[in-house]
Amino acid sequence: MKIVRDPKLCHGCRACELMCSFHHRRAIYPEFSSIRILRDNATGNISWTLERTCDECKGEVQRFCERYCLYKAIKGVVA
Amino acid sequence: MSNVQIRGGLAGKILRVDLNSGYIWTEETEKYAQRWIGGRAINSYILFDEMDPKTKWSDPENLLIFGVGSLVGTSPGGCRVSVDTKSVFNNGKGSANVGGHFGAELKYAGFDHVVVTGKAEKPVYLWISDGTAEIRDAKGLWGKTTYETEETLHRELGDKRIRVACIGPAGEKLVKGSIILVDRAKAAGGSGVGCVMGSKNLKALAVRGHGSIRIAEPQAFLGAVDDAQQKVNDSPTSKRIQQETLAGVFYSDERGPSWDLLFVTRNGQDDYWEIEKRKRIMDLKSGAPRYRKKVLACFNCPIGCMPFSEIDEGKFQGTKGEGFWVNTLMSASFLDISDPQAMLKAWLLMNQMGLDGDFTAGMSAWAYECYEKGMLTSEDTDGLHLEWGNSDAFITLIGKLAYREGIGDLLAEGPIEAAKKVGRGSDYFAIHMKGQPSIEPFRIPKGWGLGVATSPVAGRHLRGSILGSSRFGPKGASFEPHLYQDQAKYVYWQGLTKEIEDLTGICVYVGTWSGAHALEVSDYVALLNSTMGLSLSEEELMGVGKQSRNLEKAFNTLHTNLGRQDDYPPRRYMEEPVKSGPYKGYRCEREKWDEMLEEFYELQGWDKKTGLQTRKGLEELEMEDIAKKLEKAYRLINK
Repeated sequence: MKIVRDPKLCHGCRACELMCSFHHRRAIYPEFSSIRILRDNATGNISWTLERTCDECKGEVQRFCERYCLYKAIKGVVA
Repeated sequence: MSNVQIRGGLAGKILRVDLNSGYIWTEETEKYAQRWIGGRAINSYILFDEMDPKTKWSDPENLLIFGVGSLVGTSPGGCRVSVDTKSVFNNGKGSANVGGHFGAELKYAGFDHVVVTGKAEKPVYLWISDGTAEIRDAKGLWGKTTYETEETLHRELGDKRIRVACIGPAGEKLVKGSIILVDRAKAAGGSGVGCVMGSKNLKALAVRGHGSIRIAEPQAFLGAVDDAQQKVNDSPTSKRIQQETLAGVFYSDERGPSWDLLFVTRNGQDDYWEIEKRKRIMDLKSGAPRYRKKVLACFNCPIGCMPFSEIDEGKFQGTKGEGFWVNTLMSASFLDISDPQAMLKAWLLMNQMGLDGDFTAGMSAWAYECYEKGMLTSEDTDGLHLEWGNSDAFITLIGKLAYREGIGDLLAEGPIEAAKKVGRGSDYFAIHMKGQPSIEPFRIPKGWGLGVATSPVAGRHLRGSILGSSRFGPKGASFEPHLYQDQAKYVYWQGLTKEIEDLTGICVYVGTWSGAHALEVSDYVALLNSTMGLSLSEEELMGVGKQSRNLEKAFNTLHTNLGRQDDYPPRRYMEEPVKSGPYKGYRCEREKWDEMLEEFYELQGWDKKTGLQTRKGLEELEMEDIAKKLEKAYRLINK
């Protein structure tokens, strides 16, 4: 499973992480998010990881990471 | 909204730390949130309720409170933390507001607020993690810059997800205009909150949380988030801010209207900064935007307005970091410095030293004018030629100020003290609001000036200032920034929405103030109700905003002698008109200012003549407990 993304557009806001955790837990619980964002304040670099727990937002109308990324950095998730 | 059960949205606990004894304890947030909802409003109440008016900012008993907004960590644009304490400039209400990722982390660590009292015997930092807190020795951090402090804590605690709020050398040396820097870039800047933190020997708060925040009504929450997102998408400016940053959107065109309205130059000698200087600092190809490598966002922010820059040429090559805002430009014009590399360098250096940009620019510009008028000579300035536009001198001054070296020691005490020492009428051009250096415009944008002048917390760019907007505003009022008409109505209305933004933690750039102009009070209501399980109406939420405003006002009334006389622009702006540009001849006319001020007091329900609170006004807001305290101190108007 991997995310299709444009790292240049990502601002490191972590909205995807937050809403992913909401999909899994119906609460805000970043530790349970399948997508994790780490921002290095010294360099401005942002790194991403995707956990195996991603179920492509089963049961939701649309994948949350994609839907709630207002920067259009996330283009989708592919198996 | 008392006795409502709060079912989500908050972390649930307030962390209490006594640095005198080393005791740490917690209490429930709910009893405060039931009345004040969150963020700054709760901070203000704790200060009002627990502080003795005789306590000075530097006394160990002064409380330093970090309050995370109630929508932070859950809702779009919710990232702000309010830091409240006694102001180092007037011993009244001190308050600073900061974004970044720190607030959300604090909530995931289990705390909505951190209340610090006392003074540690030796430097310490606070390590907060998953419902626990520990006071730790900061011997290895003391003396370090803010950047080094974050690096050291990340290394020693072994986790790059730890969020740090810290002071720099300036805060340690009790320079009045010291900030608390968060995430290496965002400053809680006003009121000298970093100086208070330094006075407690507290170097940093390091936070890591693995916890969760409950959402009371998940379906309604999703709906509210979707609506908020739609509004951000519909905003005419949000897409451009994402690409060009806030300063870039409004100032990359040197003929843009905001340049004419908001920029004060050469310590207030004029309110018009020459076109070629605007172009030099903000030109897309050769100005500050040329060094922009990336645009970053605060936590869960849908617009992301912060540039990360790197200078790749010239004498400042290798300088890199996050931060270049609208007030960077306002500071530049106040000192007449149009060199983009130098200003970028200066800004990042101030962040590293833990110095407030407005304070540093304001105090430096005063010194430049003293130098111009011969009141300070190069002997007094340690050989620095403080001539308008001299950026090398400014950069050297930043270091001197942070470490209180030479002339830096004079400037470190703030405008009133410094002007007293220099004398010779230099107080006339020591431009300040309620004792805090001010670089704000007054003569042209009348509402901006009125808001800054009347803010109970010494006004500045995020405190009191208003821009007005065609999209949002009070009903039946029209907004022309340079006219007096209807400004009081706008200042009143925008003051209330700002209260709500500071208690929810929604950033003003996403909200009603400026920037995206996306979210408004109805959105805050929908988000609060769904996350916390409340049933607030818009009117009720505005009511809490009114209460919060009155709480700060009452605090100042009890803790200071500030009054109507302190709600006026600096004298220079009433006496000297603007010298050039399209608004040549504009100034603040006393009579018209009085009219505007009195209309504003009446809207607030305050006494028209004195500006003090009235019994009727407070009773209408169900604030009898506050009225009682004012009455006991003979500071309540019996109307």
